[in-house]
Amino acid sequence: MMKKNTDVLVIGAGLSGLMAAAKAVAQHKKVLLVAKGMGALGLSSGCIDLWGYQINQPDKVCTNPLAEIAKLVSHKPEHPYAKVADVLPESIDFFLQICHQNKISYLNTNRNWQLPTALGTLRPTYLVPQSMAVPDLAEVKELLVVGFQALKDFYPDVLITNLQKNTPLGAHCHLKTLMVKLANQELNANTLAHLLEKQAMLEQVISQIKPHVLPGMVVLFPPVLGEQLGHEVTEVLSEKLGCSVYEVANIPPALPGQRLQKALLHHLKTQGVEVIIGCQVTDAQITEKRCQGVVANSNGKIMEISAQTMVLATGSFLGGGLTSQSNEIKEAVFGLPVKVCPGKWSRQDFLSLAGQPFHEFGVAVNDQLQPLDDQGQVLLENVLITGANLAGCNYPIEKCGNGVALASGYKAGKLVGEAGR
Amino acid sequence: MAAEKAQVVVIGGGATGTGILRDLALRGISAILVEQGDLAHGTSSRFHGLLHSGARYAVKDKEAARECLEENMILRRIAPNCVENTGGLFVQLPEDNAEYADQWLAACAESGIPTEELDPRELRRNTPVLHHRVTRAFIVPDCAVDGFRVLWSNVNSARRYGARLYTYHSLTGIQQSNGKVTGVELTNQLTGERKYIECEMIINSTGAWGGAVAALAGIELNIIKDKGTLVAYNHRLTNQVVNRLRPPGDGDIFVPHGTITIFGTTSVTVNDAACTKPGHGEVLDLIKIGQEMIPDLENYRLIRAFAGVRPLYQAGNTAGGRSVTRNFALVDHQERDGLQGFISIVGGKFTTFRLMAEKTVDLAAKRLDVTAPCRTAEESLTSPVSEQWLERGKRVFGIPGAKKAADRLGDSFQRVVEEAEKNPDQRKIFCECEVVSLAEIVHVAGDGDSFTLGDIRRKTRMGMGTCQGTFCSYRTLGALSGYSQFAGNHREYLTKFLQKRWKGIRPVLWGQQLREAQLSSAIYCSLFGMERML
Ligand SMILES: Cc1cc2nc3c(=O)[nH]c(=O)nc-3n(C[C@H](O)[C@H](O)[C@H](O)COP(=O)(O)OP(=O)(O)OC[C@H]3O[C@@H](n4cnc5c(N)ncnc54)[C@H](O)[C@@H]3O)c2cc1C
Ligand SMILES: Cc1cc2nc3c(=O)[nH]c(=O)nc-3n(C[C@H](O)[C@H](O)[C@H](O)COP(=O)(O)OP(=O)(O)OC[C@H]3O[C@@H](n4cnc5c(N)ncnc54)[C@H](O)[C@@H]3O)c2cc1C
Repeated sequence: MMKKNTDVLVIGAGLSGLMAAAKAVAQHKKVLLVAKGMGALGLSSGCIDLWGYQINQPDKVCTNPLAEIAKLVSHKPEHPYAKVADVLPESIDFFLQICHQNKISYLNTNRNWQLPTALGTLRPTYLVPQSMAVPDLAEVKELLVVGFQALKDFYPDVLITNLQKNTPLGAHCHLKTLMVKLANQELNANTLAHLLEKQAMLEQVISQIKPHVLPGMVVLFPPVLGEQLGHEVTEVLSEKLGCSVYEVANIPPALPGQRLQKALLHHLKTQGVEVIIGCQVTDAQITEKRCQGVVANSNGKIMEISAQTMVLATGSFLGGGLTSQSNEIKEAVFGLPVKVCPGKWSRQDFLSLAGQPFHEFGVAVNDQLQPLDDQGQVLLENVLITGANLAGCNYPIEKCGNGVALASGYKAGKLVGEAGR
Repeated sequence: MAAEKAQVVVIGGGATGTGILRDLALRGISAILVEQGDLAHGTSSRFHGLLHSGARYAVKDKEAARECLEENMILRRIAPNCVENTGGLFVQLPEDNAEYADQWLAACAESGIPTEELDPRELRRNTPVLHHRVTRAFIVPDCAVDGFRVLWSNVNSARRYGARLYTYHSLTGIQQSNGKVTGVELTNQLTGERKYIECEMIINSTGAWGGAVAALAGIELNIIKDKGTLVAYNHRLTNQVVNRLRPPGDGDIFVPHGTITIFGTTSVTVNDAACTKPGHGEVLDLIKIGQEMIPDLENYRLIRAFAGVRPLYQAGNTAGGRSVTRNFALVDHQERDGLQGFISIVGGKFTTFRLMAEKTVDLAAKRLDVTAPCRTAEESLTSPVSEQWLERGKRVFGIPGAKKAADRLGDSFQRVVEEAEKNPDQRKIFCECEVVSLAEIVHVAGDGDSFTLGDIRRKTRMGMGTCQGTFCSYRTLGALSGYSQFAGNHREYLTKFLQKRWKGIRPVLWGQQLREAQLSSAIYCSLFGMERML
């Protein structure tokens, strides 16, 4: 059996695990990150949502999410933001700094953006990759939406139809759509993104779009403009077409989230974090409210890992941090109690504005992110919980998934970095 | 405007009504079938899909058992591509009454149902998912049947003889004069428009709705509505139909259909024929009972739950009701209530739909002075897709895609393959779970019988698989956004699609289904903000 020893063990490679590892290593800890697979970041838009709507008027977008979160903290103290609000601004700065170091550009305007999606809705979000930073649509005079015949996941007509209903466009705004034809066979988003990095292919795209371009035009694409890091497909397109080019959020697979994921993993490796993907933690040894170590199955090999502190960043049901049977829900690694709404896991209305209750299920924690039992007693002193594994957050409705993951991951990394000093 | 005319108007597009339409048409009687929703809107798509061998009824009702066996054999012959010849098992557990097995064996023999005892050791080898404690096991000629396909085949066959179909039309009035039926008033469920048809006869084959339809003629007809809940597993748990060898009860039948298994059922009396909400509690009860036969049941992935309403006929105070058999009843309202030209057929099973239709049309023909005999047992219902076309299909849709499409499309398969051959863009697979191509979706959208998104969903089965419609709902919105009747309002289109799936998923929301639901909810709310979409 392989044995490993480290200062900090991070379990999970979603945004919260990646942030925890980055912050812990920045404080000179020896960090090991293990994960069964990659997290939800790669499925997400790639934008970091902080908080979308006003607490008192949940149908109105909030412009300043930091101010709204301050209200939330007193309004709903069991919300994960209440545990991490103290570090929220610095966690954002830290994130932007890493992005900058790794040449991946995120924009922060200190207020919510309202970005168009492939469905033609607008989504409020806070930190935005440069390639998605569509300017205020009310100011745009010419809008062109480009799809690819080979890609079955993006329909310019759908986007345009609903955009007109969902946002006030300028009175003289012209909307157009265009389907680019590249190959006969079907291409998925990743293959297409890979192909678009090839100059000859990009030239084909440009030649089909160019005749339709007008001065001052804004061109929207599906999120497939380049697969690898540093390939600035968007910039080349923009320059050669002579107009602004953007990607919009779409169903997975979508590249912006995947690019951020790769950039963060790359960052961890350059900082000396050991990362093992394909490694599932299956068991934990616990004595006296401390976890001594865990057992993991790494692609069939059994490993024993001991660590001073651990960050549990295993996500919710989707990530694998929570598992369920017909009548019970478990936290998968330590068997921690999960806060649920008994008898009410879901709502009749799939798209209910109140959200599906199961998203809120998770582990209750104190300000130190330590897990608590239902009496409020700390269960494990050296295990910190982050991200979607935390109880009390309904990110799909509140628009705060990556924001909670970012801030809680950062805080856990900071706390474990300070430990033992 | 001159009203449309037909000799007979058949109400109810279930197994019974479509069977009657075909029988009428084959005897040369002009007929129109009226259905308030899509075909199979009622119980005929909300059932187990077991083509009974009769063994289940042998002890209690030998006549019903014999009818089942006979009809089972006929349907295999006339509609081979609607029936999967799985064979069936009856298994007994130690806690079941051992004597019942002998009683059952004797009853099967008496009804002519072939049985063959299987050594439990051999059963454990062949079907290891079943409990190792099984004491006795028997093979019977049960099959799995695709209800939806049978119904459409009935209608297509009838249309070849001039019969007509109105879906999304509800019978809202019955016209009579001097104690004689003269016509019907229909209301288009999508537009609210009224339509009148002159006819000599109305056949009420509306299953659980039979009482409500008879009431339109001022006649009382007692039908007990008995709801049964079923669940679908994402596995072929067993290769044969499995029945528990004990007096019929809850949770005692597993029916494999292709790659899935349908398990059920329960029995609860309800007031409303449209009450098809499956209960979470019922599902949990079912699984508990099912575990007695398949101990590992809880670890298999459920896809959805659904429910149907059995129409059970109660002769009771309706003294004139002439019971054809204890299994189903043919009510001649001319004799019973003095209304000429009105017949109701109630009760029965899916398996015996053809026989029920035959008896009904025998009576109708007599009243209409038609002497042509029934031919529905002789003439083929469908013809299987030829090898040559299947090969061509495989080249455009891949092997599993072509097979599934051929099964679903039947006679139209050829046209869809041709379209995809000409237009490579249409080969894209839109629903990966059920392998549905763009060509098929476009074909169904334009087939003249599709009026709603649900119609397209049912015919293509898109959105029925494990992804819960998450991906294909959005893709088909793109593909159909040019058809205003299906996707005029995009928000409504998606909401309906997702909500329909959700109704079936909610009662089985745990394990993999909960993970999948979290993904789906994150995509539509977190990514697309659909909960606030205008
Ligand atoms: C489709 C989709 C779109 C979204 N879009 C957005 C968006 O646009 N903006 C936004 O802000 N938020 C969005 N979110 C929400 C947001 O992405 C998530 O809430 C957030 O990323 C959760 O991060 P996490 O690190 O807590 O968990 P996850 O990302 O779920 O990561 C969990 C990690 O733990 C690992 N793991 C689990 N169990 C074990 C184990 N036993 N052993 C080892 N490893 C294990 C997993 O493999 C994975 O690496 C979206 C979510 C989804 C699903
Ligand atoms: C849970 C369950 C499992 C079952 N399993 C099996 C099985 O495995 N094998 C088997 O052989 N049998 C089975 N059955 C029984 C079988 O499904 C039914 O007996 C059969 O489907 C009834 O068919 P039908 O055509 O009479 O009724 P339906 O299929 O209900 O058709 C009646 C139709 O009439 C329409 N209608 C009603 N009112 C109006 C109106 N005013 N205007 C126009 N149209 C109207 C309805 O929309 C409906 O489509 C099962 C039943 C249940 C409930």
